[in-house]
Amino acid sequence: MSVSIRDAGQEQLIVATGLYKSFGGEPILLDVGVEVFRGRILGIIGPGGVGKSLLMKMLAGLVEPDAGDVTVLGQSLQSLNASGLARVRDRMGFLFQNYALFDFMDVGQNIAFPLEQMGVPKAEITRRVAERLAEVELPGIERLFPNELAGGLKKRVALARATIAGAPILLYDDPTAGLDPVTSSKIFELIRRLHRPDGATVIVGHDIDRMVAVCDEWLLLHEGAVLFRGTTEEGRASSHEVLKTFFMETGMLGAAA
Amino acid sequence: MSSLAPTPATAEPQKRAKRPIPRQSKANRPLLYPLAAFRRGATLFLETLLWCIKPGALKRRRRQILEQLFVIGNKSVVFITVTLGVLGLISVFQVLVQVERILPDFSMIGPAFIQIMTREFAPTMAGLMIATRVGSGIAAEIGSMVVTEQVDALRMCNADPVDYLVMPRFVASVIQTTLLSIYGCVIGVASGFIAAGLFWNIPAGTFFNLQLVAYGDVVSGLMKAVAYGMAVPIVAAQAGLETSGGSEGVGTATTRAVVNASFSVVVLDFLLSGFSFLFLSKGPM
Amino acid sequence: MTRVVRALGTHTLGLLELLGAMALLQLRITRALFPPRYDARETWRAFYKVGVKSYPIVIMTALFTGAIMVIQSGHFVAKSGATSFVGWAAGFAVLAEIGPILIGLMFSGRVGANNTAELGTMVVTEQVDALRALAIEPIHYLAVPRFLAMIVMLFLLTALGDLFALIGGAITADLMVDIPMKVFLRQVFDAQLLDEYLLGLLKGSFFGMAIAVVSCHYGLTVRGGATGVGRAVNAAVVAAAIAIFVADFFVGVVWTVLSK
Repeated sequence: MSVSIRDAGQEQLIVATGLYKSFGGEPILLDVGVEVFRGRILGIIGPGGVGKSLLMKMLAGLVEPDAGDVTVLGQSLQSLNASGLARVRDRMGFLFQNYALFDFMDVGQNIAFPLEQMGVPKAEITRRVAERLAEVELPGIERLFPNELAGGLKKRVALARATIAGAPILLYDDPTAGLDPVTSSKIFELIRRLHRPDGATVIVGHDIDRMVAVCDEWLLLHEGAVLFRGTTEEGRASSHEVLKTFFMETGMLGAAA
Repeated sequence: MSSLAPTPATAEPQKRAKRPIPRQSKANRPLLYPLAAFRRGATLFLETLLWCIKPGALKRRRRQILEQLFVIGNKSVVFITVTLGVLGLISVFQVLVQVERILPDFSMIGPAFIQIMTREFAPTMAGLMIATRVGSGIAAEIGSMVVTEQVDALRMCNADPVDYLVMPRFVASVIQTTLLSIYGCVIGVASGFIAAGLFWNIPAGTFFNLQLVAYGDVVSGLMKAVAYGMAVPIVAAQAGLETSGGSEGVGTATTRAVVNASFSVVVLDFLLSGFSFLFLSKGPM
Repeated sequence: MTRVVRALGTHTLGLLELLGAMALLQLRITRALFPPRYDARETWRAFYKVGVKSYPIVIMTALFTGAIMVIQSGHFVAKSGATSFVGWAAGFAVLAEIGPILIGLMFSGRVGANNTAELGTMVVTEQVDALRALAIEPIHYLAVPRFLAMIVMLFLLTALGDLFALIGGAITADLMVDIPMKVFLRQVFDAQLLDEYLLGLLKGSFFGMAIAVVSCHYGLTVRGGATGVGRAVNAAVVAAAIAIFVADFFVGVVWTVLSK
């Protein structure tokens, strides 16, 4: 395992090594390694179509890599059986790029679904759903259906569903795609609030200006490989061309603050 | 920003490591496509069966099964009434025009028609219509759930898509295809009688005669209905689950579901007709 | 009670509106044919695409159809002992009725559904509007070529498929019903089924026309993005199947009455 010395002593919640994936002979990810540490918020950035969302789905075991290994909470996803995978997934929350709200369920049923699958008693589910909706500032909309909601509201409902089970590891796939600036700020504010110090958060995104205020660490994907891994300061200090375009042009807002 | 824990690290870009050798799939060869697809379909079928026989599974999914029973029935009743009605009319009409030239005796037309409707046309035409109507619906529904990541979301919530989406449709389809085949048979025979009675004045007593319908014919017809009812949702769900690439992908999946489901009905019809000819009737062995 | 009447009225009106829209589309396509006002190159491309896309499935279906019909008529033979009946019964059923219908249904699933999806996607992505902006009439450029291609190709595919059905029937007769291939084919020829063959081809052409108009109509009237395309494909294959059976009925009756 290619765990670098600098991280020794810090607990890794997710370790991925040597991830390779191709579609129809076209390689997308060549050799990608990811480490996610307890208590940190990791931002995964890179140009469009580089495979960021794909990488995220591999971390959750939704896509199987052609080669390489993903270990979550000390368990290798590739070697787990269905029930083992289920136990790991119970400890993860995933916010999907396209909301992925079940359109045949209302908002309340959507948010309650993960708890129902875990066998939580009904009364407790109702209470926790109401609580969680209040937390994303959408109290009392349980009976509405997803297609009655605007994009930003859907995102917040999806956020509520991803976090309802209290999972320590939270994965957000482009949480502000297609949202206006005000809503985006609100979403990132929520993400920061929902982050657990004893857990970890991973954000895939384009909105680096806003991500700078949230993320502790970065991973820059470029041409199918990890081009940079480090903190914001390190990213800024680097003289690499691609890194510069990412951190100089879009990251100055956060630096000035 | 000040709360950042300092981490000693190299800010230098990482060197790209040597490319690992990926596991190559044999299914990439064009000639093996149908074979590989068939194997995936068979796997999905077995998986669905396993979910069905799991203790308490049917009870747990009762709501979804009832919902799907209604959806399938509601979608297909009018459709099957129209198509099998027309088929019954035109078949009897054309056959009688032919028979008129050869024999003056129409007494066997009704019984023979009822027999072949029971054994062949009612289940197969109902199966084809369900493949068209319900199969395309299942593929479009599941396909758009895949594209909008709802299937991934199910998996993240530890709800197996086969258990949650395929199994209820499978169970409902088996029940409804059987019922609709019986219904289609009644409609076809009734409309066949309309043609016979209207144009050739064949009395109802002569037409509605079950003397030729043997035990084997009924078993053969029911066997076909159940087989189509199993095959159509599996083939359609497979097309839906393998959807890739946005809204165009959903269109492709829907199209593929209709063709594959219809074709599997034709192939099953051949296999089961052959089976019942050899083993259920007193044919030459 | 009023609810039922109202629902019935709404449905009837909706159905009439649909039939009217399709008749109008048919009319506009026909008008574009005399004098010819359609894109010749696009038409050639449509012929090629429609033919290549559908012939494997049509031939496979035809082989099985012939086989099934022989087995089914074999049932009667097994009971009555009238072996000479198999060639006539299977040949008649395949050529006049079941062959064209099954080939038509498969063609509808393969080509018709695909056409709806393709046109629908063009509508949703505003490509059809782009054509209009370039002063190209979508009916001339998109609908007419597909219309011609589907009629001609389904005619040809029925002609070809019928032959394959007889081959499939002959093989099955030999293997399962104990009638040598040669004897079976002799029986089919002796039954003088040329009329039925031609009837089948006529049906095939009408099915092609029906599938073309239905699939173009649903494709060009798609609304509501990706889900709209899926819904349109679903509706198109269903409407095409109904159209096939209705056309089958009318062509069959008119043919029989005229040839009596």
